[in-house]
Amino acid sequence: MRTTNALILTDDGEFARLLSACWQMERHLPGLSVVTSELWKGGEQVFPDLIVVGPLREGKLSQVLGSISSSTAVILCAPSDAKELGFLRNRYPRLLHVPLREDWAQVVLLVAGESLRRAEALRLVKQSEQRAAQNANHAVLGRYMMDMKHNVNNAMTSLLGNAELLLLEPGELSAQSLAQIKTIHTMALRINEVMQRFSSLATEMREAETPSQAETEEFTAPLFPRH
Amino acid sequence: MQENDKLAADVQFSVVENYAEYKLVPKKVLIVDDSPAQVKLIQGLLEPEGYWPVGLNDPKRVEEAIAAEKPNVILLDVVMPERNGFQVCRELKGNVKFNAIPVILVTSKDTASDRYWGQQQGADGYVTKPFTREELLRAVRRFI
Repeated sequence: MRTTNALILTDDGEFARLLSACWQMERHLPGLSVVTSELWKGGEQVFPDLIVVGPLREGKLSQVLGSISSSTAVILCAPSDAKELGFLRNRYPRLLHVPLREDWAQVVLLVAGESLRRAEALRLVKQSEQRAAQNANHAVLGRYMMDMKHNVNNAMTSLLGNAELLLLEPGELSAQSLAQIKTIHTMALRINEVMQRFSSLATEMREAETPSQAETEEFTAPLFPRH
Repeated sequence: MQENDKLAADVQFSVVENYAEYKLVPKKVLIVDDSPAQVKLIQGLLEPEGYWPVGLNDPKRVEEAIAAEKPNVILLDVVMPERNGFQVCRELKGNVKFNAIPVILVTSKDTASDRYWGQQQGADGYVTKPFTREELLRAVRRFI
């Protein structure tokens, strides 16, 4: 499965063809795109993990490099004696330069492979951070729910218990009051059942997530059988 | 031999007499809960059954209350300020003066891990809130 994307940005068709062909031979092939400096509109349109900049038309290099997002890895394939190289190195310290020698394609693939692995690792880190933040939100919600459940259970204890106390002496109540208290008692029991179902749902969700925890609960359940 | 028989008879008689007294004295239940409404409710549920419920809202004074009241069983809430029911139970069960008194945790904490933790603290029973009158009485009757 392709998880990384690379862009070949060049005005030299032969450079693009050769690099693409070499890349096709690799085990881990990123999503590849080729674009010329004329079609390149800047980093706001495409978000590759890596841009390999090949030979460009005169005067285009600075313009292209200036438009690339600082978070994108860039490999510049240019002759070692290119006149603006020193200036570009100072201006873009993260720029990786591969001299256009006989073995340039192999060097580019090697460097690109490392860059893409780094990009993939960074993506995983970002995803993990997002999941951690999401889990933290769920934890806050869970704690709030637990707190609410405690309060509801206490209130339900009073409701249910006092209704039962009143029902202990039915002779002191009118028939209508008795019927109303019975209704309160029945409804309190029903709310209790609903709360129990919420608890079961929470347990089921937890069991689905952590089988070992489910095992512990199964083991501990008979210690205090509910009467 | 006759003297011994007489003594045995006396002892037997004495036991029967004590048993009669024992049956007449209501069984005392100490209810420890920071909520006065909950204490009052449990008292109301136990009294008609012949129990002698005594309420306590301050969990820090449990030992003092036990020494004064000498309850037959303790109903102990868990979520309380300053000293929770698990702590109280652990400390009672670690004290030879009090560890013979059955402790029933009465709490809204109803997960398996809560029950397990309660048992680890030495609790003899566990009743989850909200409970019915019958559930509460059944838990108490196991001990007195």
